[in-house]
Amino acid sequence: MFHDMTFTDVNRGHALDEASAGFMMDEDTFRAFYERTARGIWGYLARVSGDRQLADDLLQETYYRFLRAAATYESESHRRNSLYRIATNLARDARRRSLTRIPFSLAGNDIERVPSRDHAGAMERMTDFTRAMSQLKPRERAMLWLAYGEGNSYREIADVLGLRPASLKPMLFRARQRLAALLGRTPEEGKR
Amino acid sequence: MNPVECEFESEVLAAALQSRWPDRVDAQLRAHVAGCAVCSDVIVIARAIDDSREEAYACASVPDSARVWWHAQLRARREAAQTAGRPITAAQVMAFACAVGLLGACFGATSTWFQSALGTVTSAVMGLNGKSLLPSATALMAEHGALVLATAAVLFLVPAAVYWALLRD
Repeated sequence: MFHDMTFTDVNRGHALDEASAGFMMDEDTFRAFYERTARGIWGYLARVSGDRQLADDLLQETYYRFLRAAATYESESHRRNSLYRIATNLARDARRRSLTRIPFSLAGNDIERVPSRDHAGAMERMTDFTRAMSQLKPRERAMLWLAYGEGNSYREIADVLGLRPASLKPMLFRARQRLAALLGRTPEEGKR
Repeated sequence: MNPVECEFESEVLAAALQSRWPDRVDAQLRAHVAGCAVCSDVIVIARAIDDSREEAYACASVPDSARVWWHAQLRARREAAQTAGRPITAAQVMAFACAVGLLGACFGATSTWFQSALGTVTSAVMGLNGKSLLPSATALMAEHGALVLATAAVLFLVPAAVYWALLRD
């Protein structure tokens, strides 16, 4: 009964109701959105941070902050960009918190699970790519992944990374040149 | 000077992202890529990233969406409870400290034992330092000793209690 409740109980009860209402998505919408985006976000976090374990941790935090942001989104891509922006900030904060540079350790045993006909070739390509990515700055990795992995526009990438679209173009160009040189491949997939 | 971008870049990227490169694109586009440094780099990187994405999709052990939703709900409720509880705890601590101060003042004003002990302490202080050194302080202590002590107790207790409450939160 309400009459039996103390002031503290009433106050806390209101706060709990507000917490539930604070999520702008209902459960079904969230779950559908999560199913569409979680693997992509995990891949992005793993590549940008260079740490699978960290990507696991940051994934849940990303979605929690996204839900707590209580923002309204114009479109699915706007909502997705917001998610990537949160993930980017979390990865950056995690990097700042760690005193030593996080070792880039993605080419682990998991590569054996890649469903590929050319297993040895896939493994070699993945090792090369991981090594090349590890030599780039985290922001370069992020912009390359967003541009050439997610197919985002300059404006979207700039929005996610908190950069000006005008300054993104030359930065992306330099990062692309660097990675291409580090990979040392031709468009036909052979070695230069 | 090398060009920063190429007009065919988006077309080339679309071909790479849709896994149409190199077999299912125009011969013209292939010929262009062969001679264009920008598009050549785009293809190399897009394909490498695509491989990596496939690998990430295969390896990612993302938790179930229902579990993530449930954890988020739980955490939001816990944080809301903590936030709601913080000012209440601070108010409770303040009230407790004021009550202690008031009780101390009442005790000091009514207890003859305390009054005599206070008088002994005051005279001891006067004996140590000399009345001329602390005339106003000793006069104050003699007249309103209990009140001064209670005030001092509250001044010490309140910050200590608030600090303790915030530390606990």
